[in-house]
Amino acid sequence: MPHAELARIQQMLEEQLYVPDESIVMSIYLAQTLNKPLLVEGPAGVGKTEIAKVMARALETDLIRLQCYEGLDATNAIYEWNYQHQLLHIKLAEQENKSIEEKETEIFSEKFLLKRPLLQAITHESQPPVLLIDELDRADEEFESFLLEVLSDWQITIPEIGTIRASHIPHVVITSNRTRELSDAVRRRCLYLWIDYPDFEKELTIVQRKVPGIDQQLAEQVCRFVEGVREQRLAKVPGVAETLDWAMALVALHRTRLDAEVVEQTMGILFKDWQDMRQMKGALSQLLHQVGVKTILTPEGESGGEKP
Amino acid sequence: MSRMKPGAFQHHPGELSANVVRFCRLLRAHGVLVGAGEQQDALRALARIDLSLREQFRLALRISLTKNPQEQQIFDRLFPAYWSGESETDQHMGPGQAAEPDPRVHRLPEGEAHQPSLSEWSAPEDALDTEPEATASYSPLEVLGHRDFSQFQADELPAVRAAIQQIARLLAQDLNRRYQQVRHGGRVDLRRTIRYSLRRGGEVVDLALRRRRFQRLRLVLLCDVSRSMDLYSQFFIQFIYAFQHQYRSIETFVFSTRLHRVSELLRRGPLEKALEELPRRVPDWSGGTKIGQSLHRFLQDFGPRYLSRQTVVLIISDGWDTGDLALLAESMARLQQNSTCLIWLNPLMGFADYQPTCRGMQTALPYIDVFAPGHNLHSLHQLARQLLHIRLYGFRRHRYPVVYRTPEPEERLE
Repeated sequence: MPHAELARIQQMLEEQLYVPDESIVMSIYLAQTLNKPLLVEGPAGVGKTEIAKVMARALETDLIRLQCYEGLDATNAIYEWNYQHQLLHIKLAEQENKSIEEKETEIFSEKFLLKRPLLQAITHESQPPVLLIDELDRADEEFESFLLEVLSDWQITIPEIGTIRASHIPHVVITSNRTRELSDAVRRRCLYLWIDYPDFEKELTIVQRKVPGIDQQLAEQVCRFVEGVREQRLAKVPGVAETLDWAMALVALHRTRLDAEVVEQTMGILFKDWQDMRQMKGALSQLLHQVGVKTILTPEGESGGEKP
Repeated sequence: MSRMKPGAFQHHPGELSANVVRFCRLLRAHGVLVGAGEQQDALRALARIDLSLREQFRLALRISLTKNPQEQQIFDRLFPAYWSGESETDQHMGPGQAAEPDPRVHRLPEGEAHQPSLSEWSAPEDALDTEPEATASYSPLEVLGHRDFSQFQADELPAVRAAIQQIARLLAQDLNRRYQQVRHGGRVDLRRTIRYSLRRGGEVVDLALRRRRFQRLRLVLLCDVSRSMDLYSQFFIQFIYAFQHQYRSIETFVFSTRLHRVSELLRRGPLEKALEELPRRVPDWSGGTKIGQSLHRFLQDFGPRYLSRQTVVLIISDGWDTGDLALLAESMARLQQNSTCLIWLNPLMGFADYQPTCRGMQTALPYIDVFAPGHNLHSLHQLARQLLHIRLYGFRRHRYPVVYRTPEPEERLE
């Protein structure tokens, strides 16, 4: 029944302290039942990767992760021969009276194969795993088209061994930060989910859930502040992860309210770019004003006076 | 959660699929790429949800039919009207209109002879649904290639735009390619090396070499958007937009009296939104020009991060500077020192008798490596070739700028 399954996914997400909306739940559900890859896009730090983790948990299966980067090629994504091991083996087998052909078959056997994520996913035993292809936009176009081939055929050919066909077709989650557009071919093969920065209410729930013991008013101030920050033009807009780090730091400093001083001290947690930092220093008092914090420099005694 | 009107269609599955198919057609007519695959996914998805819940129904369709945020926006606009059974949709999808309307028909701006402004480019995006094959011939270049950007009529803009995008796309593809066959050097191919070594009893004697991996070329683009550049900057912005969507290592700045970083804006939204937003974000858009100050700002704030020996700096400006000339000279010198190649595109070079006599241009000239026009499609194409060449073979500095002029075509209307 769709209802029961949707509710179960929702619950799984919440158990992971993930605050889901209906669209996320539905995407996971449809990706599973239609057995299609799910393409998740959105700015950095909104919890795209979490989706795959939750899916793996919901299906009670393993998560295999392929982190993409510039220059990622088939060797690092599918398999590689264990060269050191092969060399050693050749040395050890020097005395044996075997023909070159025999030796060759020996060292190019599965024993000397290093399985990389894609091959792992295909040869996974017992049940289909969740395959997370993280930040595909960082890989090159060549890799993208190569991946497309794997995603449609679910088989990999190793010249020395032969063709390996997937015993189970994995559940695939692809994430992208949109530093470059993925090809239409990839898009069309997937179901699509866009996750944006959470709105105030949602982020507040996230903070409250993930930062135990945070003062209610501080949590609200933090979320309002971050909301305001995201409207500024910044090179690196802080994600939910940054909000959480910041909230935790403030709690560790025993703060229950924001003030100009503590914001300045802890700014490095929110902003990861010195240009942004400089820009925000200028906009700080206005932003704090929006959050409802008085910014006129307070005498020494007052700024730290609210410690519990 | 609101429930659908009873009897809407859950008892008539046939009617539902017919409606979904029609809805897909409506989406297509509005520029959403819905193919047979998506349509089938949608129908399969609907078979697995509770049809009486409107929100579930909406989400299932949205997830299976749209593939990017822009398409989602279109979907969100069309969904409520269509599925409430309002007649608005009937007008669109009357029986006589089953075929897709030619998207170009309503994309043409109304006015005829006026100069196109930025916002007129905000027509629905056709970058994605124009098949590259459809425009892959050189014909737009031949027909429109030599005409100065300022000479185009409004009804020619779609063709120009397609050509610009094509040049940008091809350039991005070429620049993204990472390997190139080489005879010497290169990386060791371990797999083949091991194989060779078998023949020598496991001794690694012969190294098998593989193709060399290339450094990615980094680009920094500084585009003058002051009033004197108005006619040209809009074309560059489109070029940059299309290019930036496929190529990562590029940072874009615009300036007139001040410098603004716009990479993120161009990377994120759809073209129409970016074009609308740009002048709003940049308060001195179409204002005066202070090139020196702007370049100085760039060097100070962004130089260390973006400049390197792999960086090509591209400045697009006519060189009309009302600012500090000493600062311009100093900044140009520093820019040149900290880059592989400093290219200056000046659209005025498109005029046959152009001489770089204005003071700004005079000041900047000694520090320029490549001086080229960039005033028409042809010169954009030339620029693309130049960049590719630098990437493959590097750039050797000369004492004087390399000056490019596009060959004079016979039919030139000057």
